[in-house]
Amino acid sequence: MKKTTIALLAAFSLSSTASFADYPSKDIQGVIMWGAGGSTDTVMRSIAPHVEKELGTDLILTNKSGGVGAISMKYVNKKKADGYTLLMGAENPQMHKVLGLSNIDYSDMTPISLLARGTPMIMARNDAPYNTMQEFIDYAKANPNKVKIGSTGKGGLTSIVLAMLASQVKLDYISIPYKGDGPALTALQGGAIDVMPAVLGAAIEQIKAGRMKALSMVDVERNALLPDVAPITDTLPGMKSYLPWGPFFGVFVKKGTPDEAIEKLQSAFQKAATNPEFVSLMQNRGYTIMNTSGEAASTFLEAYRSTSSWLVHDAGFSKFSPEKFDIRKP
Amino acid sequence: MDALNFFAMSWLSPELLGLTALGTFLGIYVGAIPGLSVTMAVSILISFTFSWDVNNALCLMVGVYMGGVYGGSRTAILLNIPGAPSAIATALDGYPLAKKGLAGEAIGLSTVMSVVGGFVGIIVLALAAPTISEFAITFQPRDYMMLGILGIMLVGSLSGNSLAKGIFAGAFGLLIGTVGLDPMTAEERFTFGIIELWDGINPVAVMIGLFGISEALHQLHHMDKAIIKQKIARIIPKGSDVKKYLPLSLQTSFIGVIVGALPGTGGDIAALMAYDHAKRVTKDPEVPFGDGAKEGLIAPESANNAAVGGAYIPMLTLGIPGDAVTAVFIGALFIHGLNPGPLLMVEQPHMFWFTVGNLTLANIFVLIFGLTGIRLFSKIVECPKGVLIPLIFLLSIVGAYAINNALTDIWWMLAFGGLGYFMRLYGFPVGPVILGVILSSLTDENWRRAILTERNSMADLFLNLFSSPLSTLLFVTIVLILFTQTPIWTTWLKPKWTKK
Repeated sequence: MKKTTIALLAAFSLSSTASFADYPSKDIQGVIMWGAGGSTDTVMRSIAPHVEKELGTDLILTNKSGGVGAISMKYVNKKKADGYTLLMGAENPQMHKVLGLSNIDYSDMTPISLLARGTPMIMARNDAPYNTMQEFIDYAKANPNKVKIGSTGKGGLTSIVLAMLASQVKLDYISIPYKGDGPALTALQGGAIDVMPAVLGAAIEQIKAGRMKALSMVDVERNALLPDVAPITDTLPGMKSYLPWGPFFGVFVKKGTPDEAIEKLQSAFQKAATNPEFVSLMQNRGYTIMNTSGEAASTFLEAYRSTSSWLVHDAGFSKFSPEKFDIRKP
Repeated sequence: MDALNFFAMSWLSPELLGLTALGTFLGIYVGAIPGLSVTMAVSILISFTFSWDVNNALCLMVGVYMGGVYGGSRTAILLNIPGAPSAIATALDGYPLAKKGLAGEAIGLSTVMSVVGGFVGIIVLALAAPTISEFAITFQPRDYMMLGILGIMLVGSLSGNSLAKGIFAGAFGLLIGTVGLDPMTAEERFTFGIIELWDGINPVAVMIGLFGISEALHQLHHMDKAIIKQKIARIIPKGSDVKKYLPLSLQTSFIGVIVGALPGTGGDIAALMAYDHAKRVTKDPEVPFGDGAKEGLIAPESANNAAVGGAYIPMLTLGIPGDAVTAVFIGALFIHGLNPGPLLMVEQPHMFWFTVGNLTLANIFVLIFGLTGIRLFSKIVECPKGVLIPLIFLLSIVGAYAINNALTDIWWMLAFGGLGYFMRLYGFPVGPVILGVILSSLTDENWRRAILTERNSMADLFLNLFSSPLSTLLFVTIVLILFTQTPIWTTWLKPKWTKK
């Protein structure tokens, strides 16, 4: 009995150190950073079947939400670096260091694919007395501490968009936190808040239906899906230095994963992300397909981290200075 | 006419009919296992049905949802482990019934009343969805806050013999609920720097421990006690019983629909409020509440199934999820290329009536599957303790792990199980603890949103309680409930005819 156990163990250890040429030889676990039904979850579940086809193996998806994404980061980095555990996440960890939430971010992992990014917008409730960004700024200046702006907590998309705004124009408003943009946009429709910055995809259906109005596209150009909405740089040209900026969805593995596995995963995700079904899904929802990996992905991630980290630092709600982590000034 | 066609779509196609049946059947068992949530099952099905036709996928998922919400009552009645937080109130009177040998009757009655609740939810969805969803989104933070306070006052109903002990347990639950990152400022509260505590202690882990494990530990005291033989002659409830309890079932169903339709609250709060309602309106229960009152079983079961239809109301009309499961449904619609949102009714008009028809079908299957197999299930309670107790432990551990695939939840579950055991031993009710945990964040977050909205002015907040009919109504209700419990009311002002 004992002998067979030892033999088996030896066989296992051999097979695990064996060449990764036959990767993947078993199911791959995909750890989704956010809960079921969220935008990260939806994006990952819509690409997974196409990736499975490319890899010829099953992708078992589990949601491991919590700690603003830090729990899933910690979990994947505790696993073996063998390419059988993927982290399927969003932009959040890039802010973790300066916010003091965690000591690992995406620079400590290997990007497999950056799938898509979203464009932030600034929405207002339908009966608000302003229709454009300029009118909103004028109104907020004339009525200090009156406009209620929803937020999704420090380091979230809203906080960064508002930090960008604060760098350009001084506004006094009331900030009301919600758990995610879904509940906040619901509150916007119910009149509990007046203004809410959120990603285009979360609001587009409501805007089309005329249930809320778009004040501005937080981008340098107009978006094909909502061509009537002016980019924020029309009103505040100074914003150009931060834009384009937006939340993103990406797939990562632990550092130290064998190159063969990384290459196979990268090419599988790259092919999957060009699947017409996936592309049209993403475009309908207002996401810009990125489908980048390797060097290009690392550059984007670094740019995102440095813009966002310094913004929150300058806005005064970082816990640590970005300098502490050698995050360059943009 | 079109509406009828779409309504009947899943009834006439054998494939859709079969998938709905399969979904409902699976749902009942997923729902019955604590920790395995309907939300999780539906999101796994999204991946599984990715390449399917959207209608087929939806039939399966709607079945799982309807069956799952009902299934939570099974283990609540048989083993005192609620399958989901919405079945907590069911355990309070359902399990005592099982201990008396009436598990079969309890399950039968809860099935029929769940189905009644389900139908009320569906009818309201079909007839009044746009009106109710517009009403639901007008709930302001202060209204949610008052709803939370109303919920906390249910401690009175859940306390059992000693109100003081109940209040203590409820307050402890509220405290447990505050653990984790502050939802407003992301400041750490009671986390001691441990990342696993950031999201707080999972209410489901607390629930499984307080109910399941503590009951199993408690049973160890009675190892020598003879096993109660289950009377299984009567499964399908008496017509007279159904007739007697129908008014209560309908009332609590309406509570379920409305609370379910609110984007900030779901079936768990609905079921607890329904239980409280039952306790208030039932003047002379045959058996006291907590000892196996049928009213206490019917009310939460009607309400949580009615909440399913309720949760669909804002989802189908506005693209706003009424609960966690409908949030996943929105994701599913998106993945299948439909754009869930306020325009869904315009762009995909068939979707509304198709869903209504499908929910109706699933509800009928709940009745069919619910009433079969009860005899077999009732036998579970007749298992020797030496088998049953380890089984409860196993089920609880698997369930706690399944919540979030995290070992941490197992430890919490066991710890609360131990705590629950001692609480029972010293006569503290466990229900209020879980009530506190569930309501803690609702009340905390909305109180702070409400006060932030008023620029931290208490006076403005108070004045604004009278700025809308809804807020005024909620406020007056709270005041009246409190006032009618004071000595001034009970000794001086209470109308004579209500005194006994």
